[in-house]
Amino acid sequence: MHKIFQIFQVYTYVLIYPWTLLAKSSPLITHVISQTPANSPDGLSLHTSTLINRDRPKMSYYFTILSPSDTPLFNIAFGTSKGGGDGIARFRFPETAQYMNQFIIHSSLDILEEAQWTNGSMYLKHIDTYPPAAAYITAFLTPSGARFLLLHQPPHLPSSTGSSGLGASSLLGSAGSTTRASSSSIAANPTSPQTEEAVRQFMNEVYENYVKTAMSPFYKQGMEIKSPVFRTRVTAAGKKWL
Amino acid sequence: MTSPGDAAPVKPPPSFSPGVARVASTSPSRYPGEQEQPQSLDADLTETPTATSPGPLSSTIADLPLRPGSTHSRSGRSSTPQLARSSVGSPLDGRFDGSEDIRSLIIRSFSPTIAVHASEDTDDLVRNKGFKGGFWELIRPFGETVPGKVVIRDSIGSSRAWEDYGVRFVDFKGIGRAPTGRESGSLAQMEEVLSKHLESSEGLLGASVRTRDVLGYPATTPLCKLFLQQLLCSAPAAPHETFGHPVANVIAISSRNPAPLETLRQLYADTTTGDKHPPEWVNQEYLRYYVLVHDEERDDITESTKLYDQMKRHFGLHCHLLRLRSSQCVVTDDDSMQVPQCEWLSPSEHLSGAGEAGKELVVQSVIPFMENKVAVWNDQVASRRRGISGRFMSMSRRWAGFGSSSRSSIAGSSGGNSGNYDATQHFYGPDSPEAVLRKMADFAFMLRDWKLSTSTYEMIRADFGNDKAWKYHAGAHEMCAVSTLLNPLATSAKIKLDGVDQMFETACYSYLTRCSDAPHALRCLSLAVELLKSRGGSATESAAKWAMRVMDFGLVGSVGQILYTERVAACYACKTPAGAAKWGGRRRKAGMWSILAADQWLKAGKPTLASACLEEAERLYADVLSADGVFPMPEMQSFIDNLRHAVRVEYLEARGFDARDEPAAAENVGTEETSEKLDKRNHRRSLIGLPMQLDAGTLNMTQGPRDTEVPPSDDFERA
Repeated sequence: MHKIFQIFQVYTYVLIYPWTLLAKSSPLITHVISQTPANSPDGLSLHTSTLINRDRPKMSYYFTILSPSDTPLFNIAFGTSKGGGDGIARFRFPETAQYMNQFIIHSSLDILEEAQWTNGSMYLKHIDTYPPAAAYITAFLTPSGARFLLLHQPPHLPSSTGSSGLGASSLLGSAGSTTRASSSSIAANPTSPQTEEAVRQFMNEVYENYVKTAMSPFYKQGMEIKSPVFRTRVTAAGKKWL
Repeated sequence: MTSPGDAAPVKPPPSFSPGVARVASTSPSRYPGEQEQPQSLDADLTETPTATSPGPLSSTIADLPLRPGSTHSRSGRSSTPQLARSSVGSPLDGRFDGSEDIRSLIIRSFSPTIAVHASEDTDDLVRNKGFKGGFWELIRPFGETVPGKVVIRDSIGSSRAWEDYGVRFVDFKGIGRAPTGRESGSLAQMEEVLSKHLESSEGLLGASVRTRDVLGYPATTPLCKLFLQQLLCSAPAAPHETFGHPVANVIAISSRNPAPLETLRQLYADTTTGDKHPPEWVNQEYLRYYVLVHDEERDDITESTKLYDQMKRHFGLHCHLLRLRSSQCVVTDDDSMQVPQCEWLSPSEHLSGAGEAGKELVVQSVIPFMENKVAVWNDQVASRRRGISGRFMSMSRRWAGFGSSSRSSIAGSSGGNSGNYDATQHFYGPDSPEAVLRKMADFAFMLRDWKLSTSTYEMIRADFGNDKAWKYHAGAHEMCAVSTLLNPLATSAKIKLDGVDQMFETACYSYLTRCSDAPHALRCLSLAVELLKSRGGSATESAAKWAMRVMDFGLVGSVGQILYTERVAACYACKTPAGAAKWGGRRRKAGMWSILAADQWLKAGKPTLASACLEEAERLYADVLSADGVFPMPEMQSFIDNLRHAVRVEYLEARGFDARDEPAAAENVGTEETSEKLDKRNHRRSLIGLPMQLDAGTLNMTQGPRDTEVPPSDDFERA
């Protein structure tokens, strides 16, 4: 079944691919991330972003494509571009984020394995939460067995960092206060329908590009995706939807 | 504690020592830790001093000693489950896994409180025999576990026998006298005790810390158990729950007393009036039990018998004659028994009959008294509330306010503001229907009639909310959820679990936000974690959620944080994959939390515990990783490799090894191929070692030249 579907897709995309490239390439190339100095000290970048807008929460994202055998094929970390975001990921615990994001994603595979049998669609929506870091996982399944996992993390709000300890839960606090912060920014609340919808759009776009990349004669199933074009397009999709 | 020379660098963990089988077979009791067998002492000798180490809390928590956890883990569930299983011939053995154990611990922590009020001469007599705390200290251990079965009848008249019933003896003068300022400090104290315990037993814990259930789930670590025990018994008597209020009062005089009956009257009067009597929120209707302590050496038994008969005539049946003897007696004497848990005080101390006295007190007086009270209250107070008129009255009051504040009417007290709640002093009068119902529910709970207690808590919890008696409100919600979970008949039903979650949520909110009562909130959440975990299935996820909530709220200190990290891992590990498809497990999550716990233990300077967690994580990850045991994600892999290496180095340094002897990966980190090769090999080795090989050959590290080649950590990883 999947096989047939895949083959069908192969033909369609082989037929369509050149045209889509032509049609889409011009805007895509201009969609490079706004290059703020990535290695600048944290204080500086925070400073500039607070200048741009004061109390808008910035989501951080970590996107992974996993092969059917759980090998990561593609990783990217980025921040929101909505509401004046600069597109740079700022995770809550930057010193541990590098491996913790992978741990969290890996652990959510437990839930994913369960959810993929109970949910008929490819887009599984929000499947898992890791409360200590307030990380939310959204998943998308492809027919070939690759999994797209998106980790999104609302920023640590200064109000809840006061750590009164009692009452002010960082999890509850973030959920409660992000909603009031801005309802216009889609990614403010990770479980809201708007976010689900935005992530769905993002996932679909990435999926489209993933299929095209997988069609490449130089790409073998299970290989890490190194194509810079693909990376650029994922970045663009993130910029567009998240 | 143990000198470096004493602790051989890497000695086989105690759980493998030949003592295990014997201990397991000589303690058929369900809770071997409670009744310390003298025979097992030699195996435990090294640990005995730790029992004396509790910090400032020891006065209040000593009735649950520090030792049971570790002793238990060795005797009941050593790393050789088959062995332990076949040697313990108890029919209860099937239920003897970790969760049942924790459940029983929780149940026993809510046991009836019996105040002990002894005359001066009695205390003197007992002090002469080596108990510094007087009569209360002598009798206390005998309340822990009542020997034999205790039969309790529930509200619908069916009986059930319990083997693990116990009561808690407290000093009469201590009831309600705990300084209120202590509440804030009790959590800090607990942390202190924990870290002290950690330091004192670092070497021992490391080896025996991680034992497994029969089914191979990670068992409760002794440390977690210790934490839970302390938590459950650190709460002082409070107005909003009656578990700490006396159910009975033991009034004791001795045969030395010149004016026995007068003294008894005086002691009785102390319990109702005078400066010693308990706070006014304690219901005065408790049982009085009179004990005459006879000194076998100095006094004449005929005199005492005469006096005892006189007492019986005056005070009725609730009397007991306790014969104490302090001479040396042979261990095999039938009528003597060694004082449990007190052997370090004076080993020669023996006494006859105290155990019997405890049992008689519980079986013949306290339990019938409680059953009777529950029946009466159920009949007079609760059923009126349950009845149609009660509901109508309460509704009318709530809506219209024309119900006229009839204090006498029980029904009228529920809606609106009943006026029974003293908002300035924050308690209900002990005779108000709310307080009586709460007491009845608590009694039913202590009698293990969870069905009745659930329904009663359910009935009153809304009233407390209406009165804005937030602590009562929180307590009723908490206990309602707890008794729902304890009720063995209320199985299944996911809807019910949602309700339970909601109740815990409410209780937690009321405790924490409305009352700022962190200790109670912590207790509530810990109960939620343990009970939901023991439910298994989907409840384990809520358990993990509550455990994370504890950490999130910052209710525990640094050691507590690590313990709760371990708890989360244990909760997830409990959820096993179901069906042929093998999905529904939470192995990856459990593994991740174990890794995090290992990381935290390492940062706390406890490499032994860290290695135990690490090994646990490897075991959990074994199912989900491919055969070579390599993590698919590169950063995870490198993090775990680094962690493993750091643990190994610290462990060896702590043991006095020179860490540089080891073929360490540290120098080779730069060279990618070399370190990877090493790590892979180590990992595979430990995976192969998973089925817990017990052959001494591989375990014995001290056997010559091998330990220069083999990284010694392989040994403890498998231990």
